[in-house]
Amino acid sequence: MNHLPIEARDVGKNFGLSPVLRGVTLKVDEGEGAIVFGSNGSGKSTLVRILAGLSSASAGEALLFGRPARKLQPHDRLRIGLLTHQSFLYPRLTARENLEFYAGLYRIDGTISINELLKRTGLASVADECVSRFSRGMEQRLTLARAIIARPDVLLMDEPLAALDTEGVELAMGLIEEALGRGCATVVTAHERFQFGRFDFTSYALIHGRLRPAQGDLRTEATERSPAAG
Amino acid sequence: MSGFTTILRKDLRLELRSGESTITLVFLSLLILTVLTFALNAPGGDAATAAGALWVAMIFAGTMGATRALIAEWENGCIRGLLLSPAERSAIYCAKLVASFVFMAVAELAAMVLMVLFYNLDFGIRLVRLSPILAMGALGFAALATLLATIQVRIRGGDLLLPLLIVPVFVPALIAGVKASNAALAGLRFDAFAQWLKILAACDILFLAGGYLLFEHVISED
Repeated sequence: MNHLPIEARDVGKNFGLSPVLRGVTLKVDEGEGAIVFGSNGSGKSTLVRILAGLSSASAGEALLFGRPARKLQPHDRLRIGLLTHQSFLYPRLTARENLEFYAGLYRIDGTISINELLKRTGLASVADECVSRFSRGMEQRLTLARAIIARPDVLLMDEPLAALDTEGVELAMGLIEEALGRGCATVVTAHERFQFGRFDFTSYALIHGRLRPAQGDLRTEATERSPAAG
Repeated sequence: MSGFTTILRKDLRLELRSGESTITLVFLSLLILTVLTFALNAPGGDAATAAGALWVAMIFAGTMGATRALIAEWENGCIRGLLLSPAERSAIYCAKLVASFVFMAVAELAAMVLMVLFYNLDFGIRLVRLSPILAMGALGFAALATLLATIQVRIRGGDLLLPLLIVPVFVPALIAGVKASNAALAGLRFDAFAQWLKILAACDILFLAGGYLLFEHVISED
């Protein structure tokens, strides 16, 4: 029986007495993507953390590959890529050393070249500088590289375009497109859904903790909002 | 254990690059040893004072070392990167334990050198006998401190928690270690302090097993 790579079943989350998520249901299959958009504090980051298994749900369950996200075995965790507001990067290590560290954790032994990854994220020239010296945008690029280093089958990204310049956004889109192309199931969050208009994502709005399918065509909206449309 | 070598190598690399933890622990140990030695009017004096001063220095240094080894993982949310990775929780624990042990061992080495100077000892058989006792003590303390420090960094106001918890729990090992160290420095035969060594070893096994089994439950986020 094939399980969905990403599934949330009636997920709820309370912080104290405050409900942040209520009855969130989401299904993403291989090669598919979902975009969850909402305002600040709407629960997007919380949802991503629950899907990744880093936080427990107060109600319902989050499943990855058909198994509870909180109880994944190492061989399943190998298949997950996560990007959040925190970079998971060690400031006193260089960009290269950070990627080498994660390559070691994810048991990557040459199947992906770290140099190639640094080049694709535009960080080749600063590969041997400490992350503490990076700008926010450079750190975000390195975070992207870290998230996809193991060529994950599930990609969870919380506002992946944050702090990126135009070139950085194109790089990020290219990496996401490549991941989708090889069958990766992807969930991204954003403030505005048009940012991901080039992809055939199912879009959802997170409003007052509830996930609602969003109306309208994502690509049309992206075109209408682009500067070229005038 | 998946990830053990990678995590340990990273921690040692970070420490070699900055030296923050080691230098702090070394100077803390030296300070404590100096103050206790002169406060007790013991320069050139008895082995009991030397043993006691060494262990006090180790406790303080170990408490700080374990905390520092873990705090670095909370920077930029790196602990979440570790938890999400395929690295086993036990591998994370063991890597942190070994890193703490290494930092403590360096600090103890510096303290031992100072002890030799203050107490007019020789770098001879007494120190050879003392070294494994201190190593056992450091190992057990690192095992316990790594577990408790993990709890401490995760809760608000946890700064007081580690000293409050670790000292009472470590007391049996502390007594055994001080007694064994005292006997070793006094030049007594091995069978004079073998019983204390057994107690220390038993405590080490308890702390290591407890840490290994409980760490997974402590480190996971809510």
